[in-house]
Amino acid sequence: MKKPITPMKPRVSQYGVDPKYVTKRMAEYPEMTSLMLKDLFPDTPDVIYPSDKGTASVREAAEKALENVDMSMIKPGDSVNVCASHHGFTLQGGEPYAELLRTVRDVIAERTGTDNIRLRAGVGLRFRETEEYIKAFELDKHYKGKAKGVAPVDRGIPIETEIGTLYGIKAIYDADWLVHVHNSDVREVHFHRQVDRAVKPFGMSYARIETRSTYHQNLGPRGANFTARSIFASDFVQSKFAFTAFLEMSPVGVVSVDADNDLYALNDRVTVGGCKYYGKIMTLMGEIDECIAGLDFPCPVPYVFAAGVIYANFTGANVDLFDLDSPLPPYTWYTEAFYGKDGKPLAKEVPPINPAIKMVVHNYAWGGYPSAFFSEHAPSIVVGREQADLMNMDPQNIDYMKHAVIADGLDTAMKYAYQVSGTDKVIVFDGAAGGVNVSESLAKLLKEKAPSVSQKVDNVLLPKWLKQRGIDPASVK
Amino acid sequence: MRVVTMLAQVDEQKCNGCSTCKKICPTLAIEIVNKKSVVDGDKCRGCGNCNQRCPEGAVIMVKREEPFTVYVDPQTVSREKIEEICQKARINPEQIICYCTTTRAEEVAAAIIKGADSPEQISLQTGIRTGCKVECIQPILRLLEAAGVTPKRPDGYQWYGRTPTVWEISDAVKEKYSQRGFYFDEDIKLLDEVAKIERKGAK
Repeated sequence: MKKPITPMKPRVSQYGVDPKYVTKRMAEYPEMTSLMLKDLFPDTPDVIYPSDKGTASVREAAEKALENVDMSMIKPGDSVNVCASHHGFTLQGGEPYAELLRTVRDVIAERTGTDNIRLRAGVGLRFRETEEYIKAFELDKHYKGKAKGVAPVDRGIPIETEIGTLYGIKAIYDADWLVHVHNSDVREVHFHRQVDRAVKPFGMSYARIETRSTYHQNLGPRGANFTARSIFASDFVQSKFAFTAFLEMSPVGVVSVDADNDLYALNDRVTVGGCKYYGKIMTLMGEIDECIAGLDFPCPVPYVFAAGVIYANFTGANVDLFDLDSPLPPYTWYTEAFYGKDGKPLAKEVPPINPAIKMVVHNYAWGGYPSAFFSEHAPSIVVGREQADLMNMDPQNIDYMKHAVIADGLDTAMKYAYQVSGTDKVIVFDGAAGGVNVSESLAKLLKEKAPSVSQKVDNVLLPKWLKQRGIDPASVK
Repeated sequence: MRVVTMLAQVDEQKCNGCSTCKKICPTLAIEIVNKKSVVDGDKCRGCGNCNQRCPEGAVIMVKREEPFTVYVDPQTVSREKIEEICQKARINPEQIICYCTTTRAEEVAAAIIKGADSPEQISLQTGIRTGCKVECIQPILRLLEAAGVTPKRPDGYQWYGRTPTVWEISDAVKEKYSQRGFYFDEDIKLLDEVAKIERKGAK
């Protein structure tokens, strides 16, 4: 059995407790081991990061990818908004994404002669999160003081789309040209369902509250991400769009950098890559019969990572989230909305939260995202009064602690979890790079199941997923 | 329903009266007096928008000495009227429309029936829109519209307008994207089904 992988370090943030309160990590227990994705699935792609070259490999790949991109529309003196999102900074510690943003700026300046290049970094529901990243990665310095975080409550701008008026954040669109810098990590499959994944920020981190509410309340669980496509396809956005650059991600790290003047072409590549790279590990997670899930990563509850998969998707691992024939994932906001006052689903189509999750140990996770649904639907133990207080003071988590208990430390929490759940299988969402930290008992199960899962995805599921999204499986090597 | 435990507090030394906080407050709890922001504690619902967007970092959130609850009891108004508004908006009365406060459509409909005529009034009375401040504006606007109320926009960025719903997407657009993974008609069927479900004991 391998030693556990060192988990992602706690991060100083207003949205989480002071790292000094994170005194012990779940990966430290003697019963824990690690599984490398490459060992589970030999066809896992090689990565350029993490690697011995560090971020130099990202810069090199970005420069190479950008060689094929036309920037002739940008003239000296033109203003350019390099649009970013918080999500990229949660991948592999954030440095690869920060380096891509630096490289994009440098290449634009060099190729076009303009120096009026601004970073506009959007957010999810933590309005100052990208301000923290800009400071931490010194992007304000690299962008010569022209870097700022933007939020969905900031001044808006109407955008006429083929379905009607939607609203963007004014500061995103206040330049001559837009450059969309993102990543292909699948992340919220429960929301976007891997449909137009690459376009999503136009309906989300670049968008006003009206648009984001449209996504989560007006268009339905499988039509939600059309907000993004309709905004991107608008004449207004098309008149400003220059090119896009993406970190191409797999569950183990950065595979490459992709860039294109045609976002839809890149979007098709992202659709395929997401299904291929993440489909196997997500399907394998659905094979877990029982477990204690540990949250131990500097992100809100649903966004903590294990093997590149966020906890929100593990709560839905009992359902194939890529399969568009399933209308509702076990967790998505449409699903959450459909629970009645008696705590039961309003409709038969609402699937239960992954029944394999017998207990959740919240060792380290942030507030800043409405997470009461998770503590209500899976028995949860929060480690330390400080974290409970953090949730209680968070306007998005007023009810989180109504459904959770507090343990004075991780040892107490784990002892309680083992006793009450009756299982010794543990999976930790701690951002371990290249693999996943699990108990020996769960490692055994995952290794047994991986080969058949791999075959099933290759031969049955992947072709189905691609067909549903208008991509010919035969075109995918 | 919302338990209000926090209160916005302005540091007058840092505040420069830029009015950003006033323009984004979902309950219109902030006024600018002598070039300084002043928070009306009775109206503040502790959402933290001002704290999160003040360019000077002049607003902090403090614990209230006396927390209070805001709630409009749906049982205090006509059930038929609630049903009528919700059905017209295509939302089940029991549907949660604010994920932070677990506010259900019936409570918002009840607030409207009792006279709330804007998102700001609804937020004051129910606490909706004071958690994440992002996701619940559209169902509020849909319910107001269904009740025949046209809200007046405040002089800020609180909200701009109602946006399209899946029921309003044209057949041409549906057809255009039918092979791209958007299941509009299937989702309409699901949403319609949910909206019409009647729970025992609801009335």
